Amino acid sequence: MIRLHHVCKVFESGPMRLPALSDISFSVEKGEFVVLSGASGAGKTTLLRLLYADEQATEGEIEVAGFDVRALRRSDVPRLRRSLGIVFQDAKLLSGRTVFENIAFVLRVLGTPRREITPKAFQALKAVGLSSKAQAYPAQLSQGEAQRAALARAIVKSPALLLADEPTGNLDEAMAGEILDLIKDIGSRGTTVLLATHQARLATQLKRRTLKLGGGVLLKDEG
Amino acid sequence: MLSFIVSEALVDLRRAGRVGVSAILLITLSLTALGGFWLLSLNLGRAVSQWRDRVRVVVFLREEPTGGALADLTRRVEGLPGVQRVRYVSKSQALQSLRQSLGAQAGVLEQLPRNPLPASIEVTPEEDATTPQATRELTARLSALPEVEDVQGGAEWVEGLARWQRLFEIVGLGVGAVLALAAILTVTTATTLVLHVRRAETEIMRLVGASEAVVRLPQLLQGMVQGLLGAVVALALLETAYAVAAPRLEPLLNLTLGLARAVFLSLPQILLLIAGGAVLGALGGLLARGRATA
Repeated sequence: MIRLHHVCKVFESGPMRLPALSDISFSVEKGEFVVLSGASGAGKTTLLRLLYADEQATEGEIEVAGFDVRALRRSDVPRLRRSLGIVFQDAKLLSGRTVFENIAFVLRVLGTPRREITPKAFQALKAVGLSSKAQAYPAQLSQGEAQRAALARAIVKSPALLLADEPTGNLDEAMAGEILDLIKDIGSRGTTVLLATHQARLATQLKRRTLKLGGGVLLKDEG
Repeated sequence: MLSFIVSEALVDLRRAGRVGVSAILLITLSLTALGGFWLLSLNLGRAVSQWRDRVRVVVFLREEPTGGALADLTRRVEGLPGVQRVRYVSKSQALQSLRQSLGAQAGVLEQLPRNPLPASIEVTPEEDATTPQATRELTARLSALPEVEDVQGGAEWVEGLARWQRLFEIVGLGVGAVLALAAILTVTTATTLVLHVRRAETEIMRLVGASEAVVRLPQLLQGMVQGLLGAVVALALLETAYAVAAPRLEPLLNLTLGLARAVFLSLPQILLLIAGGAVLGALGGLLARGRATA
């Protein structure tokens, strides 16, 4: 599902060269649940952005869901992203729309037939236990509920790969546990998951394969 | 998908608020100015073409020709370049015509000892020979004929009218272009404002894999809707102004230009004006996208 081969990323700003990732190579098989751990600034977010083509790698090969990401033309990026679900630390919900409308928005954007939108949106909300909040606006949700809504939005299009960038970063321990259970549940249904976290304890707690990044280098691949 | 794009465009239009309304007003102003000058030019153009059709050169003869001489003269005049048709008017026909024109006052003609009117040949120039230059050349050729006493007529004043028509066209296009530019910039501002407000939506659309067309079309459509609304309001204003002014101006137009009635824009012209509005709006939307992504 994911294959990186000697990937490097250097940010350039005028004469300045800031290496963010150096010689990263690993593979993630279909259906696997992998944790990407490391302190803040280790390069986790940059790595995820390379995977969904929000940044271009400086060197190396990247293959995601069958797409050769480095060879993708700008106009083909949407095709890659349609096979991905992405969740961030900040839920990024649209404040002027209800939870249901936030989920339905994705389906409408992707041209899902109108009759399929409502059942699919409610199915996703049910999967994250948020059916009762369908008509609530983001401002009326707790942080945990907002992150559940973001998860529902990510899975509503049945992605092959879920990329989660610090999804529990803003949550207390109890809420973080709930979100992790949901992500594990999504993974157990066959979706490949790559979850980035700076919380070392959380990575240990999950008891999954863990890729540890530090200073832009892959330090460990264990589990 | 289409309903999504349309509904997003309408939501964006609402978000544009006062700037959006200003953009619509400016498009209205620009198209009203353009349409107003177009109407003036259109009606002047009709007068010009009507008068061009009526351009005649009258050749007054020294003496009334006899049968053979008349046939010979007619043949020679018809053979001159730029002549489409000739009609001989005898002395008695000229008097008859004057009598009809005088109507009740025709009695004064009975006081005349003899018919003072000369025989003449009325020459209709060919369509492309109704310019002042061509009629001047024709007049010179006709004057050179030995039977000819005097030649009158020409197209100078029709060309004066045509110059006014062209002036209206140029002024209309100039004023319309300046206002259109202002309208495009206002639509650009309105759309940029909306793009700023909807950047969260745009980010989500891109992240979930929306195609660029789906991301961009609402902005384009928003601009087009502003343009269409502006065009419709402009047409309503023009139609109202025409309905109010035309009946009052027609007697004057008839007297001065010989136009029995002033016409409004035709259906294709109306559609062109509406399309112009849509293009103005769409340009504004496109420029805003460029500005926002620059």
